[in-house]
Amino acid sequence: MEENQVRTVIRGATLPGADERADVWIKDGLIEGFDLTGSAGLEIEADGLTLAPALIDLHTHLRVPGQEMKETLESGLGAAAAGGFGTVVSMANTSPVIDEPGLVASLIAQADALGLARLRPAATLSVGLKGQQLTDFAALRDAGAVMITDDGIPVADSHLMRRACEYAAELGLVIQTHSEDPSLRQDGVMNEGAVSQRLGLPGNPAAAEAIAIFRDCEVALLTGARVHIAHVSSERGMRVIEWFKQQGAPVTAEVTPQHLTLTDESLAGFDPVFKVAPPLRTAADVAYLRDALRRGVVDSIGTDHAPHTRAEKERDLLSAPFGIANIEVTLPVLYTELVLGGVIDLVELLRLLTAGPAAVMGWDEPGLAVGSAADLVLIDLDTPRTVDPARFRSKAKFGPWDGRELRGWPVMTIAGGRRIFG
Amino acid sequence: MSAAAPPARATRKHLFDLADWTPAEVHALFATAEVMAQVLTRTIKKVPALQGYTVGLLFFEDSTRTRLSFDRAARAQSADVVTFSAGGSSLSKGESLRDTIQTIDAMQADLYVVRHPAAGAPRQLSNWTDASIVNGGDGRRAHPTQALLDAWTFIRNYRGADAGRIEGKKLAIFGDVAHSRVARSNIELWTKLGGSVTLCGPNTLVPREFAELDGVTLTGDARAAAEGAHALMALRLQKERMAAGLLPSLAEYAARFQLRSGLLELADPDALVMHPGPVNRDLEIEGALVDSERSVILKQVEAGVPVRMAVLYTLLVGKR
Repeated sequence: MEENQVRTVIRGATLPGADERADVWIKDGLIEGFDLTGSAGLEIEADGLTLAPALIDLHTHLRVPGQEMKETLESGLGAAAAGGFGTVVSMANTSPVIDEPGLVASLIAQADALGLARLRPAATLSVGLKGQQLTDFAALRDAGAVMITDDGIPVADSHLMRRACEYAAELGLVIQTHSEDPSLRQDGVMNEGAVSQRLGLPGNPAAAEAIAIFRDCEVALLTGARVHIAHVSSERGMRVIEWFKQQGAPVTAEVTPQHLTLTDESLAGFDPVFKVAPPLRTAADVAYLRDALRRGVVDSIGTDHAPHTRAEKERDLLSAPFGIANIEVTLPVLYTELVLGGVIDLVELLRLLTAGPAAVMGWDEPGLAVGSAADLVLIDLDTPRTVDPARFRSKAKFGPWDGRELRGWPVMTIAGGRRIFG
Repeated sequence: MSAAAPPARATRKHLFDLADWTPAEVHALFATAEVMAQVLTRTIKKVPALQGYTVGLLFFEDSTRTRLSFDRAARAQSADVVTFSAGGSSLSKGESLRDTIQTIDAMQADLYVVRHPAAGAPRQLSNWTDASIVNGGDGRRAHPTQALLDAWTFIRNYRGADAGRIEGKKLAIFGDVAHSRVARSNIELWTKLGGSVTLCGPNTLVPREFAELDGVTLTGDARAAAEGAHALMALRLQKERMAAGLLPSLAEYAARFQLRSGLLELADPDALVMHPGPVNRDLEIEGALVDSERSVILKQVEAGVPVRMAVLYTLLVGKR
């Protein structure tokens, strides 16, 4: 625990985009400088490794309190650290839900004591996640909540969304939306289309997402609130966001690793591991989301890490819960699929996982400048490794990419000058 | 029982759906069903073909006719039968399918017939048991033995031109295709055997994506659907579809899509009237048509036993 007092040097790391190697010196939790001399209490050899700001996830389900069978703060924040994340925003659809300041403060205190990835909680938009009455945004903010969201359950009532946005704008809080029209989504368990009709599974049409995104963007324009549209999964939904962005609406867009890499054909084997909300869409949707990444329409990549127990995911497809646990493989999945796949370059991928989410939240831009917080990740871009879920820190030791050979694995994560992984 | 040996003994272990079955395999199974049907006409309606085997009937959803038919099909071949009905019980909701099947596996069945409200559940269960699995109907997904017995019934009963085969024949299906595993399996099998399928109903009950399938046509015009059809099949209409907003009223549905004598007149002169049951008389099908001489609805029910005997025999015999 004394490491942040120790002067540390990371030797010979490659800086992304610069193609040059540097010795990075860390002191008192900050980047002290580059290629300095003198003595270090801790020397980290980073020959052949890439150094970047630690990743930031604005969309992590840690399941605490109340669902510790799925994830605990230790397993979830440990998994985040192992995935290269220095900071995560935890979702509030827990049991009880995070709708009171005391719960926010308690979460932060518990997480700080663990010394893993930094936890910045979200709080719910409505009391009890019931979609009826606003929570005490100001008190929640003062307790440490950084985001207001009913993620997991779409806000059905447009008037409530409008009032939430007005109130949040005044407090400078970001509203994150789970944009799906519940009456159109109905009981769909996968994307509605040729595949769902073939498989005989109830479908959830992309129109349910596009309609809700349209409503949420209009409300953002109406109120001037900062609205962050979570996990955009469809071409239709992304087109709506682009249209509103062109008109200056204060909206930002998040996409997830699963919606950038997997399609509804994944359900053909009837494995509930692939059951997620919003659902995996078609190959055309994946192509469109990737193109949106290239064109800079997407503001951040969020994991929507959503762990469940194995027993829950071994239910039938109608009753298994929605969600994919992915935070430990997000970086290698995206590096392998998007960077090695030629969609975007490493600098852009890292931006979407660092400066992108920071800008969404209005936080200081993470970087490698002298005086910045020493929140860093060392990445091995070269060594291929097979995804072995038994090694996950997360309690959900299974996922869509099990057995896949990937590159771009984090080997060390540092938060506030202290090693939290590796 | 040596006479019952199928021409080409199937090597497959499970029957989830008919997607990867070849026409030759289907015809081999039909040949076995013929032998089984002959057995069932004897005074002693029982053969020792599956003696020593145990068949488990796992019904996570209520069913009478399919369960009885499989029960009879197993016992007529001297198999032992254990039945597990969990429709609506705690086992069918929320429990891991792995836990369910591993508990039931204590019965040491060689084959399970599974009926489940969720598509894909039979396939999921096969991950955690060594036994064979026969899909007895999973959600909206598939009901392969129903499709097999429907096609077999048609082949045996159609008396018109080029009788005895599905190839070149038109099947018109009327009604709630969207929620029907019977329709999905019939589409799969009928087109695989060289026939064509016309689906007829309101857009709310007939997914337009099915128009992309080879050999499948969609229409909202019942007369067009019936025209020249060699088999006309009405699907059971669940009355709750109206409550769910998929239909304005049952009367309007019946007026537009009920299978009735007037439609039969447009069809092939030897066309057969079919229904997978249970029938809502005078809703999806005119009551008098059910009992007409062109109706093979009871023959479909009768075909259940020999066809399911053939399925059990094909998957089990030679396995040990």
